[in-house]
Amino acid sequence: MSPREARALAADRRAELRRRARRIRRSIAAISAALFVALFLVVYVQLASGHDPALSASAKASSTAAQRKSSSETSTSATSAAPTTQATEGTNEGGEASTESDAGETSRSESTGSEAAEASGGEASGEESTRSSESSTPMTTSQS
Amino acid sequence: MTVRLATGEQLERFACFGSRCSVLVSGDHGSRTARAAIAEAKRSLLQWHDRFSRFQPDSELSLLNEDARSELPASTLLVRLAVAVRTAGELSGGLVDATLAEEIEIAGYAEDLGKPLSPGLALALAPPRNPARPARASGQRERWREVEVDVETGMIRRPVGVRIDGGGIAKGMFADVLAERLAGHAAYAVDCAGDLAIGGAAGLAREVHVECPFSGRVLHSFVLIDGCVATSGITRRSWLDGEGRPAHHLLDPATGTPAFTGIVQVTALAPSALEAEVRAKAALLAGPRAASVHLPHGGVVVFDDGSHSVLAPPAAVTVERLAAFLAPHPARKRAASSEPPVASPSL
Repeated sequence: MSPREARALAADRRAELRRRARRIRRSIAAISAALFVALFLVVYVQLASGHDPALSASAKASSTAAQRKSSSETSTSATSAAPTTQATEGTNEGGEASTESDAGETSRSESTGSEAAEASGGEASGEESTRSSESSTPMTTSQS
Repeated sequence: MTVRLATGEQLERFACFGSRCSVLVSGDHGSRTARAAIAEAKRSLLQWHDRFSRFQPDSELSLLNEDARSELPASTLLVRLAVAVRTAGELSGGLVDATLAEEIEIAGYAEDLGKPLSPGLALALAPPRNPARPARASGQRERWREVEVDVETGMIRRPVGVRIDGGGIAKGMFADVLAERLAGHAAYAVDCAGDLAIGGAAGLAREVHVECPFSGRVLHSFVLIDGCVATSGITRRSWLDGEGRPAHHLLDPATGTPAFTGIVQVTALAPSALEAEVRAKAALLAGPRAASVHLPHGGVVVFDDGSHSVLAPPAAVTVERLAAFLAPHPARKRAASSEPPVASPSL
């Protein structure tokens, strides 16, 4: 092998090393970005579906499962403890008044139980979710 | 009378705090049945009403308010209420001041109220809307800062003449106390005149409906497994003062008069009922522009015109929440159980 060929071979190897390093860097960047997005989405869905750990003083491992709603249930406004919805429907002495509000997110507060279940991303079986939603009595909060 | 519901839960509703309270429990805890737990909770609430009523001259709270000593021993619960007074002031930046007992009496709320004003009439007669401000904004001293508590010795210190008005803060605190007692049962829900604490060992999801102050219909529903909700507003306890002006029980600390801010009702979510109560009051007093600042855990705001907003937390993914979310379940449970009842994040 002549010195020229040896230099060419060395240059090829250096180029190959650079390509490999670039490939590895790109892969790491892509995997990191994908992991970040996936983690963010998981947390976002968790919070959006009402499983806000900061809200609960004693979070249950089964909370996601318990919060799933039966798809047969059609209660309105079955949104979550950490709501991501905003209602813009107004009432005034029984009348209806539409008002755009300046806070919160953009979807309407009326959703079905099954929508809530989809949002929760829970792992419960249908049997469990039916039990949790049907065996609790709703409460009402109003001015004292 | 305790009734057994179709869901298998047991519920009792009764008059208390000049309003309605209810306690719902399912499942036994040790030797204590759900029915016994409800009876005990009811008994406690009725006793607390007598002990902490501003309208009964011989109540524990009235005796504290009228005591000529600046430092005096108090019961554990009264000490906790005094701590709550400080907490409310700090949490709300001085908007929720539970030492405005004199001002509320001057405004016309010196005894149990009769039928409230029609919301439409009250709002029509009300002065121009302005957000409330803390007392320091008008150069006055913040009396809630002068209430000092030594939890260890059970002593309360305050300048003679500084009087505490438990109001909604006491109801929130009572809901928290009962929630601590009922936590071992499969499920419980305590409603202290609008301040709700929900939870239980079974982790059941429960719908909480928010009632419209104008029509009484359900404005919005949350689903809670373990948490608290409180609603505060100006339409239920309202009256005409001596000069024919509409008045209510939520005072602007800067003026000592009823606040008309453009909001008629706020429902707040929070980890404790006391915090929910404070958040709801603070959001109402802050007015439409700043209400969301006081609702970090979400809530519902109803405006003068009857429209309403359901608020999401302004920063849903915080470091604290991310950490709590990522923590393995046993650690979360340990962290939760290590919180002292009085010195929880909300207190």
